[in-house]
Amino acid sequence: MARKMLVDEEMTQTNQEEAHYDFDLFVIGAGSGGVRAARFSANFGAKVGICELPFHPISSEVIGGVGGTCVIRGCVPKKILVYGAAFGGELEDARNYGWELNEKLDFNWKKLLHKKTDEIIRLNGIYKRLLSNAGVKLFEGEGKIVGPNEVEVTQLDGTKLSYSAKHILIATGSRAHRPAIPGQELGITSDEALSLEDLPKRAVIFGGGYIAVEFASIWRGLGAEVDLFFRRELPLRGFDDEMRAVVARNLEARGINLHPQTNLTELIKTDNGIKVITDHGEELIADIVLFATGRLPNSKRLNLEAVGVELDNTGAVKVDEYSRTNVPSIWAVGDVTNRMNLTPVALMEGTCFAKTVFGGESCKPDYSNIPCAVFSIPPLSLVGLSEEQAIEQANSDVLVFTSTFNPMRNTISGRQEKTVMKLVVDAGTDKVLGASMCGPDAPEIMQGIAVALKCGATKAQFDSTIGIHPSAAEEFVTMRSVSRRITVSGKPKQNL
Amino acid sequence: MATTSFTAPKLSSPSLQTLCKNLSLFVSIPKTLSSFSRRHHHRRLQLQQQQQRRLFVVRAESENGSEPLRHYDFDLFTIGAGSGGVRASRFAANFGASVAVCELPFSTISSETTGGVGGTCVLRGCVPKKLMVYASKYSHEFDESNGFGWKYDTEPKHDWGTLMANKNAELQRLTGIYKNILNNAGVTLIEGRGKIVDPHTIDVDGKLYTARHILISVGGRPYIPDIPGSEYAIDSDAALDLPSKPEKVAIVGGGYIALEFAGIFNGLQSKVHVFIRQKKVLRGFDEEIREFVGEQMALRGIKFHTEESPQSIVKSADGSLSLKTNKGTVEGFSHIMFATGRRPNTKNLGLESVGVKMNKNGAIEVDEYSRTTVPSIWAVGDVTDRINLTPVALMEGGALAKTLFQNEPTKPDYRAVPSAVFSQPPIGQVGLTEEQAIKEYGDIDVYTANFRPLKATLSGLPDRVFMKLIVCVKTDKVLGLHMCGEDSAEITQGFAVAIKAGLTKADFDATVGIHPTSAEEFVTMRTPTRKIRQNPESEGKMGYEAKAAAGV
Repeated sequence: MARKMLVDEEMTQTNQEEAHYDFDLFVIGAGSGGVRAARFSANFGAKVGICELPFHPISSEVIGGVGGTCVIRGCVPKKILVYGAAFGGELEDARNYGWELNEKLDFNWKKLLHKKTDEIIRLNGIYKRLLSNAGVKLFEGEGKIVGPNEVEVTQLDGTKLSYSAKHILIATGSRAHRPAIPGQELGITSDEALSLEDLPKRAVIFGGGYIAVEFASIWRGLGAEVDLFFRRELPLRGFDDEMRAVVARNLEARGINLHPQTNLTELIKTDNGIKVITDHGEELIADIVLFATGRLPNSKRLNLEAVGVELDNTGAVKVDEYSRTNVPSIWAVGDVTNRMNLTPVALMEGTCFAKTVFGGESCKPDYSNIPCAVFSIPPLSLVGLSEEQAIEQANSDVLVFTSTFNPMRNTISGRQEKTVMKLVVDAGTDKVLGASMCGPDAPEIMQGIAVALKCGATKAQFDSTIGIHPSAAEEFVTMRSVSRRITVSGKPKQNL
Repeated sequence: MATTSFTAPKLSSPSLQTLCKNLSLFVSIPKTLSSFSRRHHHRRLQLQQQQQRRLFVVRAESENGSEPLRHYDFDLFTIGAGSGGVRASRFAANFGASVAVCELPFSTISSETTGGVGGTCVLRGCVPKKLMVYASKYSHEFDESNGFGWKYDTEPKHDWGTLMANKNAELQRLTGIYKNILNNAGVTLIEGRGKIVDPHTIDVDGKLYTARHILISVGGRPYIPDIPGSEYAIDSDAALDLPSKPEKVAIVGGGYIALEFAGIFNGLQSKVHVFIRQKKVLRGFDEEIREFVGEQMALRGIKFHTEESPQSIVKSADGSLSLKTNKGTVEGFSHIMFATGRRPNTKNLGLESVGVKMNKNGAIEVDEYSRTTVPSIWAVGDVTDRINLTPVALMEGGALAKTLFQNEPTKPDYRAVPSAVFSQPPIGQVGLTEEQAIKEYGDIDVYTANFRPLKATLSGLPDRVFMKLIVCVKTDKVLGLHMCGEDSAEITQGFAVAIKAGLTKADFDATVGIHPTSAEEFVTMRTPTRKIRQNPESEGKMGYEAKAAAGV
């Protein structure tokens, strides 16, 4: 057995004999959070086992793959398709720069799909190697919890393995959810959407979250007719309202048909495609109907009831600030806890778990100022508070600085699409509470801004930073005049 | 001495009292700022006196003590309407000063008689350069797009004329915008060549203007060394406005301008040879970046000739040019471009006669407030050869306007100025190089990442990204950040805020990444690539730390 950490020994003073556990840690689910927790725990000297379902691009109750959603069915394949789709617009933009291209550009979906699959298979292999290099034992099969310190892995051939573990970590992630409407089986989720055999000509997307918006951009960029239906007035609920409107405007300008405040009520199979019926009585025919109506935690088949692990009403595993469930030996990280469902957050949670349990250092994940990105075309990225949140939370007036400009590339390409940037500042402390941007390179630009915000940077510190010229990012350090001031009472002041 | 001007007996109006309260800051600044009170106004010119704005008449009184009030045509006369000049003029006018600026007529190529409102950045630098970079980057994007399933029945061809026409239309638009900006700020724009006659008088093509303060912001111009055949060479001005595509270009120089043009011409399908004197490009940059960018550019088809100095250019009968260097001769160039530095535009400005001191390169010597050796004459931007970047000229211009017209003496702050090279791939950097950091701080940790970006794994191109953080061991502060790879310039800006704010490596580590991006690498660098220690005693401890770090 690997070297034990001091803290671990201290913990074992509570009458438990540690020697009889097969593992110090058994992780169910080898996605971002699970792999991180497993590796780091092993690096701290723990003996770690991990189980994961067999690999396939499309997940199910019995299929998954090392790497998890991010690598196989999320961030990575999505970003690859976004790259592919973004060329559509970029190549059009080349013409005014003097490039002579064929009137209609050929795009080979099968080639992109094939290369995407190759890439995720490669990454799946890398993740497996990461685990084995860290000394983590990988089991292929479905994991279940049979006791507070006992897991059972059902292997592919049906044989069951049973292991005892001092700690069990649930990191099974989440899966796309389908609305209960007639004909829902005709629709697909993001899993299938990332692996379609043919590129749809007419796509209908139901949902207003980031997944819906990203697929709308992907398919539109590759030439499809796209109709996006969502329940609210604007897509991307929860994001800064002004930026939501910017995204909506950009999507429309790129040729996506938006249907706000509209629900799908029924899908019917016809010879011509899928007939889509909305609650406004509209009817459309589509080749593909994508449900991007949210994701639900993968907690059903883990047998959690048997050991008494509490779930919330969405099925998310309830945890404390250290990611511990109500059963002291069972922990959970990542999407299955439905805290903030982002890969880097799952990584942070996994790291903190390993430090807390095996590293001798109590470590709570810190959810403040976590940046995120929506890879729509063009993308949106933000960190900190939205204007609405800032107004709600701030004790003093809120200053909003915005900059709307034509990116330099567009001056010649002729593309009519403005980049919008925004800083939300606490007038009392001068602290920058939130930053957001919608425009090319926004996610790359926001990362450094996120470091500044995380450490409480003030507007004065932004202003004292010299710009990098000519860049889009320099706008963040050259915003001199306040666009508006919102007083504590919430009423915009006049004359500003 | 500094206080004499404030104890003058004329302090009566309330506004003046407040003003002097604000002026108390003046006391703490170097004597140059207050000494000008007794130096000027010994001449009177027969010029129509323009109405002075009240604020500065008042100010003049307080500065002059009991001396008679001198009227000037303008509070500020700026020579040169580039980035620094326009910024200083606008801000000065916003603070209530009466301001005039003179600038030469517009042309894409600068000379003794041509320039244009907007200056180098807008007309012959940053902007046209970046537009050309955009244009030239497409050829790489076409290659990339192949890997993502896009296909071209015929290879994309580039039409040079379309690009030049669209680029020049944009430059015309921008010079117009700059004129409007000046106009809207109430700045008087005078077209012509400004020359300083005396400490308060400027001659613009024969017409004289007086001003309380004169600002020199005439920038710099490309410099071509005098070698046989140098008349056949072009500089960056011409390179940005060639009538047709250059088939085969030699670029002499290894600085950022040379690299940017190498990328531009290479992308626009010219054959490109770069001749550099040193072993590596970009002297003064971080050594690893220098190496990395050279390799990446060579992979994209640029031929580098290292340690080769040009000796002469010969034009052959067929019109092609050959470049002779210390190592041999390369023939068949359609164009030979020199990117061998820029020199301050200080000739024929009348500087010597009024006593404005210059250094041996012709750059105007200024103090920390951008003041020259003549108290009423100031200089900002490339003509002072401090850090020759547009945003720095803007900072200097903004600081000067505050110093002169807002009673707020302001020194430009040159710490942690970020910059970018728009080579292909581009470079972004802020703070110290590894070499500088070692010299200044001794013990540093260096974190590097050298990876193939997601885009390249699909495109199949050999593109890589290099990133580097330099951390002070004693304080944990991030001293320097360097990157070469796609989006480097955009990525670096936000980190520049963090570095300027003095943030630590721990602060970087505490920040959650944005996934999947390249930029997230900067917040996920856990293990130092190397630990540099000056003091051998710390060696043992270091070994221990290294192990601990590697374990995580």
